Amino acid sequence: MTRFEWSRKITIGHYIPIDSIIHRLDSSCKLLGFTVLIVAIAFCNSYFGNVLFFTFALFLFVLSRLPIRYGLSGIKPAIPFMVILAVLQLLFYGGGVTASGTVYIHYSFLLITSDSVRLVVVSAMRFVEIILVSSVLTLSTPETELMHGMERLLKPLKYIRFPVHQFSLIIMIAVRFVPTFAMEMEKLMKAQASRGAAFGTGRWWQIIRRTKDMFPLMIPLFRSAMARADDLVLAMECRCFVPGQSRTTYRRGKARSRDFSFLLIIIGFSLFALFYPFPG
Amino acid sequence: MGKGLTTRRMVVAGVLGAISILLGITRLGYIPVPTPAGNATIMHVPAVIGGIIEGPVVGLIIGLIFGVSSFLNASIPLFKDPLVSIVPRLFIGVVAFLVYIGLKRFNKYVAIGAAGFFGSLTNTVFVLAVAVARGYFTLPVALGVAIANGLPEAIVSVIVTLAVVAPWKKIGASRKKKSKIS
Amino acid sequence: MAAEPIIDVQHLEHTYMKGTPFVHQALTGVSITVYSGECVAIIGHTGSGKSTLVQHFNGLILPQKGKVIVDGADLSDKKTDMKGLRQKVGLVFQDPESQIFESLVGDEIAYGPFKMGWPIKDVRDAVKGAMEMAGLPFDAMKDRPTAALSGGQKRKVALAGVLALKPKILVLDEPTAGLDPRSGMELLGRLKTLNEQEHLTIVFISHHLEEVAYLADRIYVLDHGKNIGEGSPATLFSNKKMLEKYRIGTPETVDILYRLQDAGFSVNVAHYGIAEVASQICSILEHGPRRDRYDTV
Repeated sequence: MTRFEWSRKITIGHYIPIDSIIHRLDSSCKLLGFTVLIVAIAFCNSYFGNVLFFTFALFLFVLSRLPIRYGLSGIKPAIPFMVILAVLQLLFYGGGVTASGTVYIHYSFLLITSDSVRLVVVSAMRFVEIILVSSVLTLSTPETELMHGMERLLKPLKYIRFPVHQFSLIIMIAVRFVPTFAMEMEKLMKAQASRGAAFGTGRWWQIIRRTKDMFPLMIPLFRSAMARADDLVLAMECRCFVPGQSRTTYRRGKARSRDFSFLLIIIGFSLFALFYPFPG
Repeated sequence: MGKGLTTRRMVVAGVLGAISILLGITRLGYIPVPTPAGNATIMHVPAVIGGIIEGPVVGLIIGLIFGVSSFLNASIPLFKDPLVSIVPRLFIGVVAFLVYIGLKRFNKYVAIGAAGFFGSLTNTVFVLAVAVARGYFTLPVALGVAIANGLPEAIVSVIVTLAVVAPWKKIGASRKKKSKIS
Repeated sequence: MAAEPIIDVQHLEHTYMKGTPFVHQALTGVSITVYSGECVAIIGHTGSGKSTLVQHFNGLILPQKGKVIVDGADLSDKKTDMKGLRQKVGLVFQDPESQIFESLVGDEIAYGPFKMGWPIKDVRDAVKGAMEMAGLPFDAMKDRPTAALSGGQKRKVALAGVLALKPKILVLDEPTAGLDPRSGMELLGRLKTLNEQEHLTIVFISHHLEEVAYLADRIYVLDHGKNIGEGSPATLFSNKKMLEKYRIGTPETVDILYRLQDAGFSVNVAHYGIAEVASQICSILEHGPRRDRYDTV
């Protein structure tokens, strides 16, 4: 049993290196396309639109040649929450602020209308769609690629004086330091356990105790983060780092027509599924 | 507060963003609370701290990092909605900063604590407001969650923020304290 | 030395990240025994498995293969009381001051005893005793803010935080790393007192052979997850072949003796204490050094 040996196991990205059309897409087009898709799904309220998005999400999964169980594994732990949420929405939403639609059941406080049923079904579907879509993105793109894609995507914003370089560097520092702090945290857990702390042993109703258990970890963790920040600032300034100065990159991505057509397809599809006046 | 993203601000934003990500992917930043919004979290504390010590822009960026990582790692439906998981988080650090700036004239120690409290509250209130607006919760459910999740979150936020920021800004508590064993 | 073994490790193996591409075997078969009241040093290069080994002593890592018996308790046994074990075996990590989280010194040191659920009076006594052992005056220091302490003081607070649990065995991972030489010397002196007067069994990891020579009764040498040598500092430091083979290095005094030996003088390498070396050098000078080789000394 190795309860304390977790820091080596954490991963930020979940990249799976196989080859597919989706894997080969230019990362900035891919990032933009998937972002558009996710936002579109988040705003989609119709049954038909969601069925379309769901089909499209599955299609993307097939295209990416990723095993579908990776997508499903994100859904499984959420099922209890989905059920609780669905029950809550079904029981209480109809009686909420905007009770509209056809009334199915009306019994004292209980009011179930076509709108509340739609809400339950649609939010569950949206969840599954977003899980699938975001899994395709993170499973098919290494995290460094994602960051480069983001940097290139943001480049045009330079003209409205958005600090693209600085922003990308911040994200890079953040991702870079996660494993470092994971090790730090593991050491802290071990050190405090050596002094009699027992993490994760309180029962779920002992909220106060479990809350108190956080302090011996969180306070030193934040302090060491600040100390590391001080060191890093010094190291960067010693090496003549100037914020915002343009830097060259080792990797250069180049979007090709294939990438643009992918982007167009996604945008076109999203607009269609969102705004086409489906019946019902 | 000077202008723009200095090296220091970038580094602080990055480092605190890293903690936010770490707390999210390891589940160490959770206090299990039995509500439909899942666990209470302290992943917003880096945004609060960043906002207080390096200003609103840093607070906002850490909030964004927190939001995106919470969106990507979400395993409950509520946070797989970018409007719930990302947008509200942008305000945490900004509010913490404003509260701190507004109150620091009176008492810096209190200002830090209050910033921790209101930063946390911003997260709770905004997330739940969007959740209600998007139809995930009704108002009574949201109020229940606000108390069950929001309260422990706010308390942890105040204590951690004070413990980290006060020594960093070299501020002690105003009154002399005695240890518990005295 | 007392004959009763208090830590007994037999053929211990440990593999990190089993079943992943990053699999790494840190311990490949370690067997060591620590007797009650002893002060044992564990030396070896970075990555030799020292830290992994000592984390077995209080059950932070449980044995995957092999046996670890600490004060009669078998750590492979699921019924072993971990909390009790961690009270008995005080483990001080590298840079222990990074674990400080309370705002007042007294509260920080009392964290462990409170976690053990001791009554407040016992906690107070334990904290008081621990602070005195660590060299922190109780009345003057207990209400000080931890944030305002110096590095050396912080380390003392961290040490006191472990001593407050009244351990029988104290395990330290590079106790003086990162301290200024003076605080380092003071800490070593305190550890020696704890070992000699309080009869605390001490196991420590070190890269500093001077400090090993000063403190340890016995040394274990680890290399690639195995113990490859064992013995008193005197026997180990006179085993020149092994020192060279594993590039362990020697304390400065031993180094001087070896150089004298190489230069053809008869010296006893087992007597490497500063005073002993001085007197050996004096006697060489009295009996007349060989002029022709003098410059190589």
